[in-house]
This record gives sequence, structure tokens and C-alpha cells, in this order.
Amino acid sequence: MTQTPTSATRAVVLPEPTGRRARRPRKRPQGMLAFGHWWWALPGILLVLGIHYASTAVGGFFAFTDWTGLGAFQLIGLDNFVEIFSDPTKIGAVGNTLFLAIASVIITNVAGLGIAVGLNRGLKSRYVLRTLFFMPVVLSPLAVSYIWKFIFDYNGPFNGFLGMIGLEEAIRPWLADPEWAIWIVLVVISWQNTGFAMVIYMAGLAAVPVEIEEAAAIDGANLWQRFWHVTLPSIRPAVAIATTLGLVNGLRIFDQIMALTGGGPAGATETLATEVYKESFALGNFGYGAALALILTLIILVFAVIQQRLTGERREA
Amino acid sequence: MTQHRHTALRRGAFIAIPVAGALVLAGCSGSGDEGDSGSTGFSFTYATSNNLESPYEALANAYMEANPGVDIELNPQPNDNYDTTVRTQLQAGNATDIIQTVPGAGQPRSVVELAEAGFLAPLGDASAAIISEGTENLFQVDGETYGQPVDFTVTGIVANLTTAQDAGVDEFPDDFNAFLDACADVAASGKSMVALAGAAAPNTGLMAMSISATRVYAETPDWNEQRAAGDTTFAESEGWQDTLQTVIDMHEAGCFQPGAEGGGFDAITNGLAGGTSIAAFAPGGSAVEIAQAAPEGVQFMIEPFPADNSDAFILASSNYSLSITEGSENQEAAQDFLDWVAGAEGAQIFADASGQLPVKGYEELELEGTVYESSAELLTSGAYAPLPNTIWPNASVYDALASGVQGLLTGQNTIDDVLSAMDAAWG
Repeated sequence: MTQTPTSATRAVVLPEPTGRRARRPRKRPQGMLAFGHWWWALPGILLVLGIHYASTAVGGFFAFTDWTGLGAFQLIGLDNFVEIFSDPTKIGAVGNTLFLAIASVIITNVAGLGIAVGLNRGLKSRYVLRTLFFMPVVLSPLAVSYIWKFIFDYNGPFNGFLGMIGLEEAIRPWLADPEWAIWIVLVVISWQNTGFAMVIYMAGLAAVPVEIEEAAAIDGANLWQRFWHVTLPSIRPAVAIATTLGLVNGLRIFDQIMALTGGGPAGATETLATEVYKESFALGNFGYGAALALILTLIILVFAVIQQRLTGERREA
Repeated sequence: MTQHRHTALRRGAFIAIPVAGALVLAGCSGSGDEGDSGSTGFSFTYATSNNLESPYEALANAYMEANPGVDIELNPQPNDNYDTTVRTQLQAGNATDIIQTVPGAGQPRSVVELAEAGFLAPLGDASAAIISEGTENLFQVDGETYGQPVDFTVTGIVANLTTAQDAGVDEFPDDFNAFLDACADVAASGKSMVALAGAAAPNTGLMAMSISATRVYAETPDWNEQRAAGDTTFAESEGWQDTLQTVIDMHEAGCFQPGAEGGGFDAITNGLAGGTSIAAFAPGGSAVEIAQAAPEGVQFMIEPFPADNSDAFILASSNYSLSITEGSENQEAAQDFLDWVAGAEGAQIFADASGQLPVKGYEELELEGTVYESSAELLTSGAYAPLPNTIWPNASVYDALASGVQGLLTGQNTIDDVLSAMDAAWG
């Protein structure tokens, strides 16, 4: 007894008659599909143009005005930029921005790579440890920063610990100390972002065949040589991504500084992002704030171009 | 036939549902319009800093109770982002009918700045009538009133006299040298004379302005007008140099609690309520709030900052105001409310809820036995000046002062640095 497939089964399983299959592309022309693609993409394109490019362009325009955020404004050319670059506090903010971005990217990548290599294979508790190291990344930067603020408060546990071990002379208001405050901010940023770098490196390390390392070991390479000459070159694309993303994120750092120091003491931890907020929204100097934002955008753009180039090298490789 | 009927039904549904929906929505809209035309309600945005009942909320509740037909939609906003919220709403045309403002032009929520930008509606005669003589320019533009004062705030040192006596300070010093001596004695007892929120710009700035009352404004009450006219500068002013030198002297004498540079507002609340500090620079109304957190029986007093080779002087003025927004569709109802607030009943309700003095008639009040007892003589003799930053032209001047004082405490700035930055910010 033979079974004949139902029409539904035929539609799913059986190849269709040659004639129909040959005709279908002509019956459902690609032109319609292409037309449909445009319409489907249009809302997204408009949103990207409107939200990203148009608003950025309008914001950029206000950088050349004296707008206070209310009412009329006047075009003042490059006056805002001249004022920024003749103000030592704003130059300091640019310096702090670059310092935090570069130092945090170095610390988080070195630590992240070390942890990723350590937890790559072998260690039995690696899955638990990976979760623990990644956990700070998913926590709110504000919540984390307020906890760290409590830790480094003058009456907080860190000073309590210093007092307990007999280092009373080292006790100070860490977040109000002009020399130490920026380093405390760096510690908090690095603590929170290391897990992100670790994940990128773990993804990179997963793609490195064990056989290559084994071959190098058989050839007499020691642990460091295997890492430096075999593993690291193999994960170069991951290094490029982790460093450039970390750098761009570091340049935009805002939440942690606002929660920890508010840019203080006396501007010692101000960055371009906090200055943009302060000038635009706290002091009502919208045009000046827009000029600061434009400078920050240009700095980020430079690093974004570097990222593009590194990504390009990865493709060629 | 059946197929045709189904199709027709489906077509009918396609048309009927949107039409019915539109009619329902139109009906809703129509009923709303009808309600608005007879409505005496309005909306009200104000800033709030804690979870206590705001004096503005107390005003609104009392008004609604007295006028059962009135419905006030309250829109409290955290003080931190109040300026941003209100300015964005004003710019977008969806601000509430009444907004809380501050006199002058020194802050993003200042009456003059918002009025000149065309976002405030002129107020009635009752609003103009309660403006103190000589301060009209803080509430009016081109002869029209745009802000109605709601308070009379005395700004000085809020002192916990109970803690002071415990620390051996039987009388709060009225001489600066005696004050510095007391600082050393109090510090030796493990407490501090002053609790300072050194990391909070509003507190460092307020401290400097409170000190400037005796160093600058006692001798030159019109100093701000002179600065505006270009006749003087902060950097040239001996009074302002003395003011900042006083901050340094206090720091060196151990007047502030340990780690004051990094202190927040909790240092003040905990210090005064917990009895670890004697005093703090704060507006008079905060004495009432801090007293609520302190153990029962603790006595607070608002003291003028001790003079140094000058007469006693204090800061006192209307520091808060209410305004009606230009786009308001309920201006009549809003003005009725402001008229009521300007009256004796409204003013007293606000004063009771805020701990400040009523906007009018404070000169005739019996202040003996209240937290204002030490300042009463100065108020009756007119030995006071308005809060300076209400007269300054923009918020950046006060920011430069507040940030600069923290820099003086940490050693980052010199007095000349701070005063030059204030001059630069003045523009």
C-alpha cells in the first residue's frame, strides 16, 4: 500500500514542479522585493538620520552660538572654542578625560587578558569565577559608584582599615584629595570594566586551537613564549576590539565621576563629559556646553577611526 | 451571496471601527474641553530636596481645602534636576501653570532670566504689593511683575545651643577671634564648631556668602550694584579678600569637622542632630528640619556670623518665588491661588511649613523664644542684605565661588585665583 502525500506535506517537503519553480522568480519580481526593502528600512533610516545625525548637527550648530537654553541666541563664531582653550580648568578636563580613558584601557585590558587566560581552560571553578568577574559589568555604574564612595568616605571602611593597621597618618578624605581623587575614580572604573575586556578575550581565546600551543610546547617554547608568540598574535582582533571599545567608553565616562566626586575637588576630576553636563544643564551655558560636546565628539571620532583601521587590518588578516 | 455578505460586513467593520473610535475619542476630547471651560484647576511644579512635606504642597493642600472646587495637580521635581526639567518644559511649551522660581537672574530658574526669554506671564497687583522695597528689580522686568515672593529667609549659622553648652561654649561668640578660640576648644573636646559639606557646592558657596555679610555688605550694602557698574571687582575688593581669608583662618583653627573637604549634606544633618558639631551654614528654614531629626529638647538658634572689625550684619531676603508660565491656559485660576498665597493666611501657612519668616510683616513679629531670637535685632534695625547671588548676573559666578572655596580648603586655589575666576564668570 502506498501513501500519497497530502497537499500540506507536499508543500513543505516535496520539490515543486520544474515549471513553477522556474517561473516563480519572474512571478514575484525582485523589483518588488527591493522596493519592499526600502520601505522596510525607511523608518530605521529616518530614525538614525533624525536622532543621530540631525540632532548632532543641530547640537554642533549651537556650539557656534551664545544660546543659554532659552529664547534667542546670536552666532558668535569660534568664541566658545577660544574660551575653552584659554581656560585652564577646561584644559584640565581634557587632560583628565584622556588620562582616565588611556589608563583605564591599559589596566582593564591587562587585567582582563590575564583573567581570561587564567580562566580559559583547566581550572575547575572557571565558570563560577567568570561569572564573578563579569558581574560588575552588569551592575549600575551609579549604584556601584555610591558603594565605592561610601568605602572611600572619610569615616568609611577604607580609612577604618588604615587606622586598624596603624596607618593613621595615611587617613584622608580620599575623594576630596586633589592628588588622589582621580586615582580613586580610575580604580572604580577599572574594577567595573575589567569583566567586559575579559569576555572579549575569552571569546578570542576560544578560537585559538590547542594544537598550536601544543606544537609550540613540543618545540620547546616556555609558558611566556607560548603566550607572547602564539596566543597573543592569535587573538589580535580581540585586542583591537577590547582596547578601542574600552577607549571610546573611557572617553565618555560620566556616571562614576558624578557619583563619586561631582568633578571635584575644585574641578580636579572634571572630564569633558561632566563639563558638558555642568555647563549646559546646571549653569545654562548651552552654546558653550555644545562646544565642549563637539570637542568630545571629535576626540571620540579620532579613536573611532583608529578602531575602523584596526578592524580593517583584522579583515585583511 | 453569503460570500458577498461577509465581504460587505468586513468592509463595514473596517469603516465602522475607526469611525466609532474617532467618535469616542472626540467625545472624550469634547467632555474635556467642557470641563476645562468651567475648571478652576491648575498644575504646579516645585523643587523638593527631601521626603518631608514640601511647604508648596502644604500651600496647595490648604488652598484646595479652602476651595473645594479647585483641583491642583502637583508636580514635585528633585532639586538636582529641577532647572533642566523646567527649562526643557518651558522650551517645549508644556510647562505647568505655576512654577517655582527664584528672584533675580543668578540661577537657571531665576525670574528675570525666564521673564526676559518670554516664558513667564505678568502677575497681578497682589503679587507686586508684597515685594520688599528696594528689591523690585529681582521680581520685575520693564515694570511688570513676573515673580511673587513667598518667604523671608534669614541665612546665617544654624547653631545647636545644647551641643555648644555641652562643649563648654555657653554663649555663641559674636566676635571672630573669640569664635576661632572656641573652635580650638571644641575641637579639643572631639567635636567640631562647624559641620561643613565641603564637597557640596551649595554649602561652600553659602558659607562664603554668609561671611561676606559682615566683611562686604555691612560696609558697602550696594557692592553688587557697584560691581555691575564696573566700579569694582571681586579681585580688588578687600571685603571679598577678607571673606575668603576668614574661610582659611577657620580651616586652620580647626573649626570644621575632620574630612570636611569631602563632606556631603549628611555631615550637616548628622553632625547637628547627632551632637558632634555645633553649627552649620544654612538657611533659617533648615533649622526646623534639622530640629525634627534631633533628640527632643535640643535648642537651635540662627546666629549671625561673628563680625571682625565691622558691625553685625546678616543675610535676609525673599529667596523663593512663584511664577505663572506664559503658555498657561489656567492663568486666572493660577492668579487666584497666588493672590491667596500673598495674603496673611497663605503667607503664614508657608512660613509654618518651611520654618522661614512670612514674606510680609516679619518686622512686627515677636521673635523672642524662637530660632530667630539672635537675629531679631538685626532684622528690626535693617542690618541685613539680600542673598548676594540673587543679584549676580549668572549662575557661573556662584559656581566659581563655591568650587573655589573647596579649592581653598584643599590647597588647590589661592584667594586671588577664586576672586579672579568670579570676575571672569561675571562677564
